[in-house]
Amino acid sequence: MKAPGQAAGADEPARVLAVWCPGWPEEDASGAEARAFGEVITVVEGFCPEVEILRPGLCLLAARGPARYFGGEDALARQIAAAVTAHGVVCHTGVAAGQFAAALAARAVRPDSTGVVVPPGGARQFLAPYPVHVLAAPALAGQLARLGIRTLGDLAALPARDVASRFGAEGTAAQRVARGQEARRLATGPPQADLSAMLEFDPPVHAEPAVFAAKGLAEQMLAGLASRGLSCARVRVEVTGTDGRESTRLWRHDGLLSALAVAQRVRWQLDGWSPGSAEDGPDESVCGIAMLRLVPDHLVPDEGRQLGLWGDDLISGRVERAAVRLQAMLGHESVAHPVLAGGRGPGEQVMLVPFGDIRDARHPADRPWPARIPPPAPATVYPVPRPARVIDAAGVPVTVTGRAAVSASPDALTVGDSPWLAITAWAGPWPVTERWWDERNATRRARFQLVTEDGIAWLAAVELGRWQIEARYD
Amino acid sequence: MREKTSQLTGHMERLPAAAATASDGTSSGNSVFLRAAAFSRPDGASGSYGDIVVSGDAVLPVLPALAELLPAGGLARGSVVAVDRSGLLCLALVAGASAAGAWCGVAGVPDLGVVAAAGLGAAPARLMLVPDPGPGWPQVVASMLEACEVVVVRPPARPQAEARRRLEGVLRRGGGVLVVAGEWEGAPVRLRVTRRSWAGIGDGYGSLRACRAEVVAEGRGAVTRPRRRWLWLPAPDGTVAPDETAAADLSFRGSAVTGEAARAAAAPRRAAR
Repeated sequence: MKAPGQAAGADEPARVLAVWCPGWPEEDASGAEARAFGEVITVVEGFCPEVEILRPGLCLLAARGPARYFGGEDALARQIAAAVTAHGVVCHTGVAAGQFAAALAARAVRPDSTGVVVPPGGARQFLAPYPVHVLAAPALAGQLARLGIRTLGDLAALPARDVASRFGAEGTAAQRVARGQEARRLATGPPQADLSAMLEFDPPVHAEPAVFAAKGLAEQMLAGLASRGLSCARVRVEVTGTDGRESTRLWRHDGLLSALAVAQRVRWQLDGWSPGSAEDGPDESVCGIAMLRLVPDHLVPDEGRQLGLWGDDLISGRVERAAVRLQAMLGHESVAHPVLAGGRGPGEQVMLVPFGDIRDARHPADRPWPARIPPPAPATVYPVPRPARVIDAAGVPVTVTGRAAVSASPDALTVGDSPWLAITAWAGPWPVTERWWDERNATRRARFQLVTEDGIAWLAAVELGRWQIEARYD
Repeated sequence: MREKTSQLTGHMERLPAAAATASDGTSSGNSVFLRAAAFSRPDGASGSYGDIVVSGDAVLPVLPALAELLPAGGLARGSVVAVDRSGLLCLALVAGASAAGAWCGVAGVPDLGVVAAAGLGAAPARLMLVPDPGPGWPQVVASMLEACEVVVVRPPARPQAEARRRLEGVLRRGGGVLVVAGEWEGAPVRLRVTRRSWAGIGDGYGSLRACRAEVVAEGRGAVTRPRRRWLWLPAPDGTVAPDETAAADLSFRGSAVTGEAARAAAAPRRAAR
């Protein structure tokens, strides 16, 4: 007898349940969101011990076993959603064959706010109306769209051989996804050798040195895989504390995991588990980290191309080594790499991403941003705007009315405690009302450009009568 | 001087092909060090390289507008360039090398204008930023120099003689370039902006469009006599360009002024009337 999951053909991937928490701050730079998501994972782990975290806000689990126990996939999806929602987090669940379809099913919320359960064999039909842009491959999606292949259904209908010859490994993977199959054929059979990498800490260490060691350990694991022509899309991180406590978590990556990406996930896991956290009390010596083990999972043939990974700029080993050494010296967040993003203010147009992390810009840079400060861009952009005062010729502070009228010509400027400088030219006010739909983040301010007697130009903003210097043109 | 140069060229020619192929500026780490080693060995000279004029390999490219200001026509490997009171000039100095494929490190500049750097041609993807290197900044800079061809540093405090000597040693051995935003005693080249005027902005109207700046290069050796150039820093398109209007103004021939830059320059004059 065939199990229902196999009915649609041997190539259909296993049933996957996706748990999606909409509005999760995925790009928060602090990593705190990964820790907070740990609580959601703990709830989901009550249903199934093996939970894969795709990224903060989205996790997956194999649906087959738990669905039998909890009375069907639909019932399982509802129960998980209810349990997470009861925890105070908005959550949707969806079930489909394969992780890609499942993640989309969780987003396709039905009117009664439960997720969609795509029946076995129905993944291709379910995916067909989605635009190709849902694939994590913007360049490929752009090419396809220009060729008139706008939906996953169109892509799935193309002959596989033509797709392979025109778009290579990336195109093949995308088409397999569109057809409701796994992106890559899984390497069949269990690996012959033990490909995991393990490190025992003697004496036990705390989180930061363990993360540092994890980078080396991940390199060792990946080198072992590479020598067999394999790569992994998932890694199991096992941490054992000196008090015998264990933390095991599966991490998946949209692309293939690099050594630094693995280390980053170890850090997230240790942040959530940290022996130094308040519940364990301050005595850290009792519960250090004794052992760290990385087990590669979901082995796939290494096809040399990574889907949806950041940029083409491969960081050479020389730079990576120096960055790792600096991070060991100063902390992970202290060595960064700028990513241009969209935004109106000069500070919003750049995101600093710690070296080794992969994060896309919150807002893409190539969209129009009306009311953006006209170029040239300032050479000095204060991370935190500096308080300033601007007065007119009579010595009265300059103000701006709600209708963007200036009380008088600005005459002198002082930034912080520095001496007053005469203003020789100025322009503005340029009112900016941002995010008016969002009470918490809404801002309403007016920007000015001021040139002072020393030849320096300033980008100033006045909000609720307070002047601030956002940037300096020097 | 000429003798030193020819001696150096001779040494360069005798080097194996590996060093020669590394002349495109996009070379990998190994060849960079190979090249640097080749440069620092020839005559055992331990002095500053600011007074040796060499072309090609031994200098990192800079934006064309800045080449005239620098005695080597670029950033001489193993040397220090100090830049006073101009954020954009610092960025412009490294933009040429970055565009040519070099990695740039920036230490102690939390307020770096990355958008401006990108506008000058620098590649943000090859920037390594350490906004707050702390009191151990010389060590941080030394580590960054192992990865990056150019490092920009704004020392949190006036650099001690010992730290200076140590970093100069690292530079000579590794062949990197250090651009210091601030004071550096004994720097072979010091650049500063002495005068500037903004175009496009008036008394309550317009917006900043371009800036004419007089840049002065001073230093030891070949730069004992200060060089002065008027530059567009930045030009209306965000880049750096020599300011031809200044030359025209000096020779009292306004008709030579053409193009976007001239229109930008004309704006404040119109405003004055």
